[in-house]
Amino acid sequence: MRPLVTKPFPYFVGVYSLEELVTRKSRVCVINILGNESRKVTPVSHAYSGGNVVAGVQYGRHGLLETDAGDIPVYHSVRDVMKHGHDFDIGVIYLPPTAVSQAVWELVRFNSALKRIVIVTEKVSTRDSRNIRDICQGAGVDVIGANCLGVANAWDHVRVGGALGGDHPEETLRKGTVAIHSNSGNFTSTIAEYLKVAGFGITTAVSSGKDVYVHFALPEFLYAAQNDTRTKAVALYVEPGGYYEKMALDWIQSRLFGFSKPMVVCVTGRWKKNLERACGHAGAMAGSGSDAESKERWFDEYFGVPVFDPANPRVSKKGVRVASLQHFPDAMRAVYAKIDEKPDFEASGDLSLKLWISDSFFPLPPELDLPVVRAIPPYDQRIQESNRLVGAHFLRQNMRHKSGASWLNPSTQVAELHGVSVLELSRNAFEDNVFFALAKVMPSRAASRALNRVLSALVRMQTVRSDAFDEVRRADCAPNAFFASVAASVGDPPLVRGTRSMTGFLIDLMREHGITEQTEKLPDEAAEKLEAECLTRTVPVVASEWTGLLDAALDAELPASPVTVVVRHVSALRAAGKAHLKQPAEFALAAVLTALFWKPMLEKRISRDVTENALAYLNVIAALARNAVIDPESNSFWKGLAKPGAVSTGSARFTDMLFRILFNRKPAEFEAAELQTLLGLTATNGPGTLSAMGAKESVSARNAIPTAFAGFLTNTGMAHGGNGFEAVEFLIGHFMDSPLRDPGDPKDPADLQALASSAAKSYFKYKQAQKALESPSYKRVPCINHPVFKGKDVNIDPREDFIRKEMAGHGGHNAFLEFYHLLVRELFNEGATENVFCVNVDAVLACVALKLMWTDLREKRMTTRQAQDLVFILFLLGRAVGAAAEIADHRDRGEDMDCRTPQSEVAFVL
Amino acid sequence: MQIAGLKYGAPLLNLVEFPVAERLEGNATRDEIQRMLDQYGRIVVKPFFYGGIGKKGKAGLVRVVDNLTDAMKAKEELYFAKHRVGTKTARANGVTFEEFIQSEIEVYFAIDASTIERKSVFTISPFGGVDVETITPDKKRTVWIDPFIGIKSFDLTNNLTDIGCPEKFISPLVQQLPKLWALYDGYGLETIECNPILMKKVENTYVPTVADIKIKFDQDNPAWRRLGLPPLIFQSEVSPFESEINRLRTYQGQSDVLELNPQGTIIPFMFGGGANTAATETLGDHAIFSSDFGGNPPYGKMYEIARIVFKHWFDRANVILIIGGKANNTDIYVTFKGIFDALRDHVAAHGKRPVTVVIGRGGPNLISGMMYAKDILDTLKLPHKMFGFDSSMIEVLEYAKKMDDWWGREGANRYRKAVAR
Repeated sequence: MRPLVTKPFPYFVGVYSLEELVTRKSRVCVINILGNESRKVTPVSHAYSGGNVVAGVQYGRHGLLETDAGDIPVYHSVRDVMKHGHDFDIGVIYLPPTAVSQAVWELVRFNSALKRIVIVTEKVSTRDSRNIRDICQGAGVDVIGANCLGVANAWDHVRVGGALGGDHPEETLRKGTVAIHSNSGNFTSTIAEYLKVAGFGITTAVSSGKDVYVHFALPEFLYAAQNDTRTKAVALYVEPGGYYEKMALDWIQSRLFGFSKPMVVCVTGRWKKNLERACGHAGAMAGSGSDAESKERWFDEYFGVPVFDPANPRVSKKGVRVASLQHFPDAMRAVYAKIDEKPDFEASGDLSLKLWISDSFFPLPPELDLPVVRAIPPYDQRIQESNRLVGAHFLRQNMRHKSGASWLNPSTQVAELHGVSVLELSRNAFEDNVFFALAKVMPSRAASRALNRVLSALVRMQTVRSDAFDEVRRADCAPNAFFASVAASVGDPPLVRGTRSMTGFLIDLMREHGITEQTEKLPDEAAEKLEAECLTRTVPVVASEWTGLLDAALDAELPASPVTVVVRHVSALRAAGKAHLKQPAEFALAAVLTALFWKPMLEKRISRDVTENALAYLNVIAALARNAVIDPESNSFWKGLAKPGAVSTGSARFTDMLFRILFNRKPAEFEAAELQTLLGLTATNGPGTLSAMGAKESVSARNAIPTAFAGFLTNTGMAHGGNGFEAVEFLIGHFMDSPLRDPGDPKDPADLQALASSAAKSYFKYKQAQKALESPSYKRVPCINHPVFKGKDVNIDPREDFIRKEMAGHGGHNAFLEFYHLLVRELFNEGATENVFCVNVDAVLACVALKLMWTDLREKRMTTRQAQDLVFILFLLGRAVGAAAEIADHRDRGEDMDCRTPQSEVAFVL
Repeated sequence: MQIAGLKYGAPLLNLVEFPVAERLEGNATRDEIQRMLDQYGRIVVKPFFYGGIGKKGKAGLVRVVDNLTDAMKAKEELYFAKHRVGTKTARANGVTFEEFIQSEIEVYFAIDASTIERKSVFTISPFGGVDVETITPDKKRTVWIDPFIGIKSFDLTNNLTDIGCPEKFISPLVQQLPKLWALYDGYGLETIECNPILMKKVENTYVPTVADIKIKFDQDNPAWRRLGLPPLIFQSEVSPFESEINRLRTYQGQSDVLELNPQGTIIPFMFGGGANTAATETLGDHAIFSSDFGGNPPYGKMYEIARIVFKHWFDRANVILIIGGKANNTDIYVTFKGIFDALRDHVAAHGKRPVTVVIGRGGPNLISGMMYAKDILDTLKLPHKMFGFDSSMIEVLEYAKKMDDWWGREGANRYRKAVAR
C-alpha cells in the first residue's frame, strides 16, 4: 500500500493551521463516555465548548450523559452513533489501553468524515500505538496522544479530549497569541497559567503526550503554528526521548517548511539519562543521542543564544531556551520585546513564592520564614469558608451490607471494630469502648475520667419507667423488647437538643476565630459572640448541678483542646460574678464533649456530626444502663440513684456502676474485669449481623439516633443474643443440684468430670431417642461447635481460647467453662459428636455471667428466668457499643433508603 | 525490563525456530563440557547477569577456551564477576558455556521503535559484532517495517546488497531474519538486538546463528507475560519499595516510582509526568525517589501508596513534599485525604518524629484538600507550608531543598525542643 503523504512532510498531516485543529465547528464523539474519567471531564468540556459532543459510545449500553449544556446521547457502538445521524469529525478515546487500537479501527471504519482522534488513555503499548499510526496515516486522520489531555482553542472557547484547564477551563485558557505544545498535560495548563501572570494568553494548546510515539509532534505543530495568523510565538515543554524536535529544527533550517515565529522552550529530564526504566512518561527515556542535554543543544544552536538568564535577558528573534518553567513569563516578555510585539493583556503578578497556608506554632529562620499572603480570588474566599469545615468527610454511598466501622476479619474469623478485634476490646472498660466506638481512638486517662462523669450523671438523670418493669413481667417481654421501648422513648430531649446546638456554636467559634490550644486569650470578637450567645448577667433561677461538671472538667480533666480557652474565659467571668451561663447544663456538656472529641475530629477520624451528637449516643447508653436492673425492689444501689447524694458516683468507673446496677453489689476486682470482658466480646460481630442491620436500616429510613438503637434492639432475639440465654438454662440444669458452691474456686468439691460425663451420656441418649423418632429439630447442646472452626479431630474457637487463657492468666478459674471443655470431650467419647467440638465464644458469655450470679441463684435471691434475662441484657449492653459505631458510620456514609432491597432482588414464593 | 544473553534469550528464539548457538548452563558436568569441546573444538564462557547488562566482551568478561581446565578456570573467575556499566555495578549470577562458531562475517540485526519513522524499523549490517554506533553509515541500513506485513524479503535483499554483504550470505539471512518479527510483534518486545549473528557453515550452506542477544520488553504490553519468564530475572531492576508500590500499578498509572537515593531526606509525592521530570531534576540527591502519582488516583489507592511510602521512608525524612502543577483532572482533596490519612495512621502506629511538610499544588478542590491536610498536621503538630499554583513550582522545590538542608542541620533539633510531643 502506498502511504498518504501531505507536502511538505513525508507522511500525512491533515492540519494546515493550528486555528483549524479544533474549532467551534468541531463535532465530537467520545468513546467510553460513561467511564470514570470521562463522566467527570466530558460534561465540563461540553459546556465550555458550547455543546460540541454530539454523542458518546459506551459498549453495550444506551443512555444519556447529563450535562449543563444539555444531555449527550450514548450508544453502544460507533456504527450505532452513525446510524442515528450524529455526524462528527473528532473521536475522543477514554478506553483502557488494550482496547484503544480497536476503537481507532472502529472510528476509522465507520466514519469516513473523521479528521482527528484524541487518545487520552495512558499506557497504550508501543505496538498498539504503532499500529494506530499506520491505520490513521492510511485513512488520513490526525492522532493526538495517546497519554495526553488533548487540545484547547482559547479563541473559540473549545477544548477536546481531556481536562486541559481543569474544572474551570476559562480561568486558565485565556485568549492570547501564544501557542503551546507540551509533552506534559499538566504542564500545558501550568505554562498557560504562568504565561497569564505575565500578560500572555494562548491561541491553541496541544498536550501531545509523551509515549514512545508522539503522533502530533513538533514538526507538524510548528508548521501549523506558522500558518496560524493568531499565533505570534510558541511555548514548548520538551522531555528526553525521541528525535521529533531535531527533525523539526532540521526541517526548518533546511527550509522544508518556513518557520519564522519565536519559540520559548523548556527541556527537562537530564536525570533520566542513566535510567533503564520509565517513570512518568514512557517515552521520556533517553535513547542514544536523544537525552535532555542533546535536546538542549539542538535548541541552543537553533536560537543562537545561550539559555535564558533572567538577570541578563538575552534572546534572539528565533527565541530562547529556559532552564526552568518559572522563566517562561520573563523569557516570553523578552521575546515579544525583541519582535516588537506587546503582551496580550495586563500582567497580573509574578511567580514568586506565595505562602497561602502555614502552621503558626514553629518559628523558622528568616530565609525560610515567609509571610502568609492572601490567596488569589476565589481561593481566598474558599479558605475562609473551609475554616468552618471540620471533621472527616466520607463519600456518600449505598451502605447496604457495608460498614466503615466493623468487619469480620476473614483470616481470623474475629470481628473488628475500627480495626481493633473484639478480643482486644474485651480488655477495655465498657465506657472506654463506648468512646472508642464513636471517636475511633481510645480515650486518654483524663478523657476517660471526664467521660465517666458524663455517663454517671446521665444515668442518674434518666427517667425510669418503674411501671414498665411490672408490665414487662406481665406481658412476658424479652429483655430486648423492653430495651427497645426504652431506647425509642428517649427521643431528642431538650438537653440533647440544646447541647447539640451549643456544640455546633463552640466548634464554629473556635474555627472561625482560629482558636487553638496555644491561644492565651480569647479574641475580643470571639468573646463578644460567646457572651451574647451563652452568658447572661442575671443569676439563673435554678443552679445546675452540671456546672460542677464544668468545674471538675477544668481541674485538668479535659484533654488539651481549644475548648479550654473558651471554658477558662467563661469561668473567669463567672468567678468574678460578671456573668452567668444561660444554659449551664448544655454549655457544660457541650464543652466537655467537644473537648473529648476535638482531636479525633481534627484528625479527620470522625465527622462533625458525631461530635455534635455525642450526647445523643451517650444518653441512650445511659438510659439502657439505668434500665438494666433485674430486680428493682431489692437493688439498693439502683434505688439510691434516684436520690441525690444517696450513692456516690463522680468520676468512678462507669463499668463498676453498671456492675452494681446489674448485680446489686460492689464488684471484686476480677469481677469488674470479667464484666468488661463480657461486654467487650459482644461489641460487634460485623455488619452482616441482624443487630447491625437493624441499626443500619433504621438510619437508612432517616430515624433519630435513639430510634436507630431501637432498630438494633428489636433485631436481636432468642436466635441472636439469646444463645447465652439457652446456655444458662443448660448449665443451671446440670449444676443446680450439684455441690458446686464457688465456681471461681479451683478447689471447689464439685466433680466436673463426673458432671460432664453424665451430661454427655444423657445428651447422647436424648439424641438417639430423637433420631429414632425421626425428629428433625432436636435440641443441640448450646454454645458448642461453630460453622468455621470445625472438621478437625479437636476443634478450638480461637476467640474462646484467647479469653480463656486471658482469664486464666488473672487467676479467673471458671467451673462452668471447664465443664464445657470436659463436656465436648465426653460427647465425642460417647459417640454423640463426630469429633471434639469447639466450645464457642458464646459459652464464655454464659459461663462468666453465671459465675457472677451463682451465689444469688443458689441462695434463691435470683430466679432462673432472671438469670437468663441478665445474660441477654449483658449481650445487649455489649452490642450497644457496636451499634453506636454502626449508627454513626451509616449516618456519615449512607444514603436515605440505601438498605432497601431492590425490587429485582425480591421474590414471591409459594 | 530487559534480558541479555542466551540463557533466557535462546528459549525465546526457539519459539520462532531461529537458530541459536548451542549452550550449557553453569551447572553442566565436566563430561558435558568436554563433549562440547570435543564437538566444537572451542567454547565460549560468558557470565550471566540479570537485567539488560551488555558490553561483556569489551569488559574482558568473555573467554574462549579449548580445554576443560581453562573452561573450569573461566567458570570460577566469571561465576560472580562484577561488571560496571554506566553508573551501575552488576554481579554475575552464573555462567553459560556456548559453542564457538567460526564465521566469516558477524551480522548486526535489531528491530526497534523509531521516532524518526514513527514506525518499527530494522537495522542491519554485515559488519557487526561491535556497537552499532561505531559502524559507519555506508555499512549499515535502517528500514521501516510495515506493521501488518512484517519484515519484507526484498527489503533485506536490497539493503544487504547495497551495503556490501557477500552474496552467499544474503539468501540464508533472508530466510531466517523475518522470523524475528514474529517474536518482536507477538510477545511485547520494544527492542530486540542480535549481535552478532554468526554464519555457521553446515554442509554446503550457511545458517545464521545468534551468538548474543539483548531484548527490552514494553512494560505496557502484557504480551510478554505469555513467555513465562521467571520474575527473578527482572528483580535486580526493582527495589523492595518499588516492588511494593508496583503491586498497585494499573493502566491508569498513578503509582509510578523510581527509587533514586535511599539516603535522601525528602519524600516527594510528585503529580504528573511533567512535574516528575522537573521536580526530580531540581531536587537532585535530596529526593529519595522519583514518582508520578498523577492521573486522579482514587482514595484507596492514594492511601495505600502513601502508607507504603511512609512505611519505607518516614523514619529518615526531613521533608514531606507534595508537588505538582495546576491539576487538570486529579482531585486534590481526594489525593490529600489519602496522603494525610495515611500519615496520621502511620504516626499513630509508629510514633511521631520531626518532619516538615511543603506543598505546591493547584487543581480541583485545592482548598478543601489543603485545609484537610492542615487540620491533620496541626493536630499532629507538624510544621507545614502550602503554596498555591501562582507560585513557581521550581521555587517551591528550591524552598523544599532549603528547608531540607536547614532541618537536617538544626531544624529537627529545634523542633524537638520547641514543640511538645
